[in-house]
Amino acid sequence: MKEEPSSASPPAANLEFKAALLLALLFLLIAGAVVYLLYARGAFEESQQLVLMVDDSDGVAVGMNLTFSGFPIGRVRRIELTEDGVARIIIDVPHEDARWLRESSVFTLTRGLLGNTALKAYSGILSDPPLADGAVRKVLVGDATAEIPRLVADMRELVSNLKALSAEDSSLSASLGNVRDLTEKLKGPRGALGMLLGNEADAKKLVTALDRTNALLARVDGLAAKADAQAFGPAGLVPEARAAIVQLNAALTDARTSLKKVDGILADAQVAAGNARDATADLATLRAEVDTSLRKVGRMIDEVNRRWPFARDPKLKLP
Amino acid sequence: MRGRVPARCGAPYDSGMNSLLSSRGPLPDLGRSTLTWFAGWWRIIHFGALILVLALSPSSYAGPNRSALARHVYLGTAPILLWFIVLSSLISLVIIRIVVVTAVSYGLSQYALEMVVRVLVLELIPLTAAVFVALGCALPNAEDIAGMRTRGEYDALAQQGVDPLRHEVLPRVASAMFSVLMLAAVSCVVTAVLAYVSIYGFTLGAFAGYTRTFGQVFNPAVSMIFALKSFFFGLAVALIPVASVLYDRPRGRMRMSVELQSLIRLFLALLLVEVASLVGNYY
Repeated sequence: MKEEPSSASPPAANLEFKAALLLALLFLLIAGAVVYLLYARGAFEESQQLVLMVDDSDGVAVGMNLTFSGFPIGRVRRIELTEDGVARIIIDVPHEDARWLRESSVFTLTRGLLGNTALKAYSGILSDPPLADGAVRKVLVGDATAEIPRLVADMRELVSNLKALSAEDSSLSASLGNVRDLTEKLKGPRGALGMLLGNEADAKKLVTALDRTNALLARVDGLAAKADAQAFGPAGLVPEARAAIVQLNAALTDARTSLKKVDGILADAQVAAGNARDATADLATLRAEVDTSLRKVGRMIDEVNRRWPFARDPKLKLP
Repeated sequence: MRGRVPARCGAPYDSGMNSLLSSRGPLPDLGRSTLTWFAGWWRIIHFGALILVLALSPSSYAGPNRSALARHVYLGTAPILLWFIVLSSLISLVIIRIVVVTAVSYGLSQYALEMVVRVLVLELIPLTAAVFVALGCALPNAEDIAGMRTRGEYDALAQQGVDPLRHEVLPRVASAMFSVLMLAAVSCVVTAVLAYVSIYGFTLGAFAGYTRTFGQVFNPAVSMIFALKSFFFGLAVALIPVASVLYDRPRGRMRMSVELQSLIRLFLALLLVEVASLVGNYY
């Protein structure tokens, strides 16, 4: 590297050319880097604006991506605070990616456990009208870290409940003790019966009652067999009843014949009654005549009594 | 200007400042050394202003000056360019691998690329390029100037009517600065390509996502800080060693050579620029 001053200079034309090449290379590198960075920053993209309103923009940074289905479709250009204390996140969305945003799109701001914040867009109905340039939307905030205190409180409550459940004098422990007693009784000589009735004497009584019931059922079974024979046997009730019904049918036939005869008699009686009615009409004349004769006899007796010397004095004599 | 420059850049500061600083008297040693230190910085700043004026003057690029500039630019950059690309590629590959494997093991692979870009392209590559140029080009250039002064060639040029500052110093300063920018630019591009290939493999499918991440890292403020940092790295590497050999004198009590003083000043300047860029980027 050590060089003599200009007196010992190598061929200048060649060096100047090489130096010019190096300069051109540096210029190209810097210009290329600038163009690439401008391209990476979206300087050559036609974009539209989307304004998201959120109460707390913590974690949102300029340059952050807005993703749709995991693909970045926009980047945060500016974050500002409005007069009413709401954060305005201004996002540039390139026109070619803006087709994923619709009027019905929903925007969320999620914060992970490690502080990684993500802005996401969801478009359920892609047939809706496209989102207009400069549209303002509210952001739904899903904060995983905000859930932690509540989760911890719930966990603490759960642990205390578990502690209470698993304590020596807890209900669960007593219940488990009772279950153990029950299982021991189940394993005992009387098994589940002894467990249900609680003592040996009652269990014995129940077994005895069951034995008796079995014997009774055997007897009832015999009785039923006999009743069956008496009811449905050759000389049973049912065949006899059938014969009685046949006889009853015959009796009914006789009765029907008798009734027909009675009808004839009644017809005769009707004729006789007509005759009697005629006779009754003659009787009225006869009675009038009898009455007349009786009145004459009465007058005659009165005349006799008046003329008779031993007639009674009907007059009353006063003192 | 041609006749006055050597007198302005050497003698007045040496006589005035050093007569003040060498006087034994009321100033204690600590105060004197501090004053010497700040005086050295002031000389460097003044020298930088002179060089800037010369660099902006069209006459500096005419005739023999242009040949000298071209020679120094080429000889200061080309020999170390290939080596630096190889070295920075190896270091970058190792660091990319470490970052990617660590990120994947923690389930944070989506941040691996951003971290690689920030750590390597933004911070390490420009600093490494500056240190590499300082050791490979700027310090030998300063040694050349010191040798010329020791041999009297520097003053002889001035006596011949040739401005040594324009003819000998400016090309070396410009070549060192160019070298820093060139090495940083080339190795940043190489590292960016290596990062892409290491993470995604030989496919173009991830180029859109890669570009987007690159764009997110290089926002306007970060880009400006990166450009300024590279510029000031180059300035520090180009100016401080040459200015030190022109103006500093060996400190007898501390037994510190001019080259060592320039190296300390250089690393301090690089550190300050790096800290300032970190503060600008992350605070």
